[in-house]
Amino acid sequence: MPTDRTTSGPTATVRSLLDDNHFLLRRLHSLSGIVPVGLFVISHLFTNAQMAWGQDRVTGKGDFQHEVDFIHSMPFLYVVEWGLWGAIGFHAVLGLWYTFTGKHNVKRYSYADNVRYLLQRITGVIALVFIFLHIATLRWRWDLFGWFTPFYGKGYQNPIVPQAFHDVPMSLPLTAYALQISWLVVLLYVVGVTASVYHWCNGLWTAAISWGLTITTAGMKRWGYVCAGLFVALMTFSCAAIYGALSFDLGQDMTDDQLEVFELIVPESRVPLNISGRH
Amino acid sequence: MIAPNPSEKTFLVRIKRQDAESQPAYWQEFEVPVKPAQNIISVLQYIAANPTTTSGEDVEPVVWDSGCLEEVCGACTMVVDGQVRQSCSCLANEQLAKTGKDHIELEPMTKFPVVRDLFVDRQRMFDNLKKVKAWVPIDGTHDLGPGPKETPEQQEERYAYSRCMTCGCCLEACPQFTKDNTFVGAQAIAQALYFNQHETGKKLKGERLDELSGPGGVADCGNSQNCVKVCPKEIPLTQAIAKVGRQLTVHAVKNFFSAK
Ligand code: SF4
Ligand code: SF4
Ligand code: FES
Repeated sequence: MPTDRTTSGPTATVRSLLDDNHFLLRRLHSLSGIVPVGLFVISHLFTNAQMAWGQDRVTGKGDFQHEVDFIHSMPFLYVVEWGLWGAIGFHAVLGLWYTFTGKHNVKRYSYADNVRYLLQRITGVIALVFIFLHIATLRWRWDLFGWFTPFYGKGYQNPIVPQAFHDVPMSLPLTAYALQISWLVVLLYVVGVTASVYHWCNGLWTAAISWGLTITTAGMKRWGYVCAGLFVALMTFSCAAIYGALSFDLGQDMTDDQLEVFELIVPESRVPLNISGRH
Repeated sequence: MIAPNPSEKTFLVRIKRQDAESQPAYWQEFEVPVKPAQNIISVLQYIAANPTTTSGEDVEPVVWDSGCLEEVCGACTMVVDGQVRQSCSCLANEQLAKTGKDHIELEPMTKFPVVRDLFVDRQRMFDNLKKVKAWVPIDGTHDLGPGPKETPEQQEERYAYSRCMTCGCCLEACPQFTKDNTFVGAQAIAQALYFNQHETGKKLKGERLDELSGPGGVADCGNSQNCVKVCPKEIPLTQAIAKVGRQLTVHAVKNFFSAK
């Protein structure tokens, strides 16, 4: 059925706007997934992986803290952040639209590539929900169903923390707390991160076809190995991060300063702190 | 009508029937004697001669389409046991052995309007060929002389695309090609490439790419790669999609900088 351009009204205007820029929108959709969002996710996962190294027992400093400080010291952080939101929003709206223009058929044609096609659409939706929950709780510090996981990179970011503690690094303990609150949160992170990483790596593979980079079957295969390698690397980083967050002992591993700030920010910890025998 | 001889071995054929596109579909079952090397078309011929269902009802003979009977015209394409293929090259006993069942299920393709029973109207494919100008422009009032030469390598690559018989398998299996959208699908994309690569056909390359960058064009492909797996002519459809993708990328960049 050809698109009906004779009808008028706002829907028709949107339609013809979409139709007239069909190619550009499709390519921007591809690009917006790979470049801003994808590159950010790579660096974000790499940063998080540093959590596996823990922190200095005395100063509370560590590689993870160092990178969080670096991000917070970036000029125009809000511009970067809103740019990312713009890219994710654009990518998600068009992606959802495109998803519902297709009709999957894995039941009849159960080829691995066809499953991959369906997975790309499912993981896209999971990734969107996950990113929203992740940002809402850790960045905007929303209290979702009692799942309050306030994240502050350093003491000064929280107004109730007194001047003396402004420089206390809090990234690792608060991230650890966020995950240790419940196994459901851990599950959310495992599923959400896996879906996001899959979505990005598979998108990278198909984008090479859409843009005409890999034009032979052998080329697609070789590029497939590269994308699979990236998937493994990013999943390794993610596992390291989750391991780092779960293995951090909130009662024992925090410095005294961190413990004080922690008790200010989280007066009623939902993770029991075992502080017996601290130095 | 001649009932199957009770001593003969038989199998069942379930057919999804429909009197017209606007009518509801319904299933009927027929019993057919096993014969060596009979293809689905001969099975359908037997049913046409003996249109009695297994419940004993005499019905209108089943309608189907066919032409060459050697897998080169594409007319007999239908869905056999859930998979799209040419019915003329589908042998009943092989099909039964493959599925391990005592029956074969026949359905019309789902992406084209049903004319009647297993006979569908593949007009959209031919319209798409017109859309992408899948021809070599040589019409004129005077002799144009011999065309430019093609290298053996070019010929070899183009030969693969020339095998397309407009059967529709690639579209039937494509998750992005639906009855209510405008996607042209792998067949028209591969044919556009076929003519874009032809030394004289190249004259229309720009127009083909303009068409393929619009709604329903190459960008609507979701890279599920079903098309290449079901194509009976083993046409490298995903390579064609990627190559047209590359031509479109170059075309768009060129247009951005130099179109008026
Ligand atoms: S690769 Fe594209 S054209 Fe081929 S079946 Fe998948 S979506 Fe359809
Ligand atoms: S490309 Fe292959 S599957 Fe598609 S119409 Fe041509 S021959 Fe049939
Ligand atoms: S009748 Fe021509 S392909 Fe089957």
